[in-house]
Amino acid sequence: MNAKLKETILNPILKGNPITVLVLGICSSLAVTVELKGALVMALSVIVVCGMSSLICSLLRKTIPNRVRIIIQLVVVAMMVILVDQVLKSFEGTYPLDKQLSVYIGLIITNCIVMGRIEAFALGNKPIPSLLDGLANGVGYGLILIIVAFFRELFGSGTLFGIPVLSALGYTNNGLMILPPMALILIGCIIWVQRSIQKDLQEN
Amino acid sequence: MNTNNNVYTVIYTTVVCVLVAAVLALVSSSLKPKQDANEKAETISQILTAAQFGDKSEWQKKGNAAVLDFYKQNIAEAVLIDASGNKTGELSTADATVYGKSELKAQNYNIKDGKGMKLPVYIFKNGVSVVPVYGAGLWGPVWGYIALGSDLKTISGAYFDHESETPGLGGKIKDDPAFRAQFNGKSIDFNDPKAAFSIVKGGAPAGKANAIDAISGATMTSKGLSDAIDVWLQAYKAYLTKNPEE
Repeated sequence: MNAKLKETILNPILKGNPITVLVLGICSSLAVTVELKGALVMALSVIVVCGMSSLICSLLRKTIPNRVRIIIQLVVVAMMVILVDQVLKSFEGTYPLDKQLSVYIGLIITNCIVMGRIEAFALGNKPIPSLLDGLANGVGYGLILIIVAFFRELFGSGTLFGIPVLSALGYTNNGLMILPPMALILIGCIIWVQRSIQKDLQEN
Repeated sequence: MNTNNNVYTVIYTTVVCVLVAAVLALVSSSLKPKQDANEKAETISQILTAAQFGDKSEWQKKGNAAVLDFYKQNIAEAVLIDASGNKTGELSTADATVYGKSELKAQNYNIKDGKGMKLPVYIFKNGVSVVPVYGAGLWGPVWGYIALGSDLKTISGAYFDHESETPGLGGKIKDDPAFRAQFNGKSIDFNDPKAAFSIVKGGAPAGKANAIDAISGATMTSKGLSDAIDVWLQAYKAYLTKNPEE
């Protein structure tokens, strides 16, 4: 693997993380991080949508009329989102999760990360790097989602993936963790930790 | 090639849209049977939850097959009634046929028009009857099931669902067990001039048997649900007040 490709994959996960560095996609990370299960499904959905729409847009990049490119991207992203939603609805195991995530799956379409990566990367690069860039950004997003959901579920409900962990030890649930503001605070903490480790992210 | 040409742009956009539409139509129609089966089990598990046969989350864990089996074993009959409370038809209990959201929506129009009603009543072997309600919340439809004791007056349980109410506010009609627990032990009163049953903003008066507290921060959802319950109960009035045992 050459250095550029490696950079494409690793950058969105660490130094250019869409949530902690670019601060995109915050809205959904507040809404779906109450439970790990929901966060995991959301993360996988975004990875698929982001990767596939980047791939398709990159394949089409030379034919897309410049003046309507946003609309064409939107159609492609919308198609992927609906496909993911339809598939989630079709399986017995994921159907309740799809119901629970309800509007947020549909709202992946408004997730700035997806359109942002298509505009910034897929329209100017070959299909394979674009696919990897899309997937990696999805992973970067999903990683933060899962970290936040881990703490929120653990301290908010005392469980992990619905299995009692802290609550089995007689822990009293902290209702604040369930509320959306706590997700913001946790993301803030993650940004803090990341910036103190990666000094070059700090502004003067 | 000049991709900024008007003709090219129009043709390109049209082709992309048609292609995407075709893909979506294909996927949607091939996945439909599976989605319908999930939806049916979901509806039945809501009915069972309203009728106090275990909680929604437990049914979810047990899976679709268990839900259908339990329903088939415990349902006595599922009748369709008209505006004057007479039985006009039946839903197959062997196939566990139930009214889904779209059928409830259709019946909601029939109730408003005052004609062509075919409203389902799910009668369980233990004497509990479950009737559906359907109406408009703040952002989209709200619907649910109310379980009545054998006197067809006392409420023994309820379950509600919604399409797009605000999570944490209006969404509580579904997510907050304390909200639906309020229904247990209440009763319907058709002699009340205002509503047979109501959800009261600011709290139901103490001792009032046909009212419960609204959800704070969700005025419109509470009102929508309250209206839905009243409209549907009024449609069932002839059936519910007939009391064949007397």
